[in-house]
Amino acid sequence: MTCDQFGDRITAYVDGELEPLERTRFEKHLETCDVCRRELAETKALKEELDMMTFKEPSDAALRRYWQSVYNRLERGLGWILFSVGAILLLCYGGFKLVEEIVRDPTISVVLKAGVVALVFGVVILFVSLLRERLTVRKVDRYSKEVER
Amino acid sequence: MDETEAALIERCQGGDQDAFGGIVRKYAGAASGAAYLMLGCREEALDASQEAFVRAWRHIRRFQPGTRFYPWYARILRNVCISRLRSRSRRRTVALAADPPARSDADPEILVERSERERRVWQAIFALPLAHREIISLAHFQGLSYKEMAEALGIPIGTVMSRLHAARRALRTKLAGEES
Repeated sequence: MTCDQFGDRITAYVDGELEPLERTRFEKHLETCDVCRRELAETKALKEELDMMTFKEPSDAALRRYWQSVYNRLERGLGWILFSVGAILLLCYGGFKLVEEIVRDPTISVVLKAGVVALVFGVVILFVSLLRERLTVRKVDRYSKEVER
Repeated sequence: MDETEAALIERCQGGDQDAFGGIVRKYAGAASGAAYLMLGCREEALDASQEAFVRAWRHIRRFQPGTRFYPWYARILRNVCISRLRSRSRRRTVALAADPPARSDADPEILVERSERERRVWQAIFALPLAHREIISLAHFQGLSYKEMAEALGIPIGTVMSRLHAARRALRTKLAGEES
């Protein structure tokens, strides 16, 4: 066995993630290979050093603030959904009524009516196009998805 | 998975937000630290880790009971962080590969620095490319197994092994370079 055949197995050996058979083969190789022994020693030393280092545990006060912030977001999530649905419904209804009023009003010029109708259609086309783009991106964007098990 | 966590998760899946508070408090430190290593900014790390908890809560019913919560959450957190890095790179019109700038000082609110040596190691970690920083963080500071890392990163176990090996080598080289 040559060093090239083991390579990154040294890392797995240090982490106790090698299969028993591979572990035995690697240990046998170690008996005769100075390069791998040195690499193993350095990897072990680094692992021990890194395992001693930690992220800071937040204080009780920081944890309370942290959870409060998460809780506020959870609470507001439903509020935002209801607000958005309501706003969309009201905007659609109000817009429809406004256009209907303008189109039916004989005192308003045809040019103005055509302008309002074109504006409404333009907004609808832009909205649908943006929505479709977002949905297409979402389908292929692995980072926008959540984890399913 | 310890029984306390299993019980908390069961209550979460029943809609108990107080139980979720227990889960959040348990992992807030690890989550903030992991996000900080990816994003390099304390405020953004706190915000991203909180956003990931909110997403986890919304999908908690999909979580498979009997497995550890943190590796599942780590994948959500990673997605949130990657999304933020991508928006950041779009805003600044630089490639994601450029990574967040290496920091000269680790944030004492997030990372523990007990010695000058630890300070140098944190600095060397921040100077690594994102993929290396990320796998070092998952393996050493978040305590994931190779299988859990493979799931969190969406890569085969063999790639976890080679990436971790390359990351440790790069870190050793950086530290050796500093000492010489």
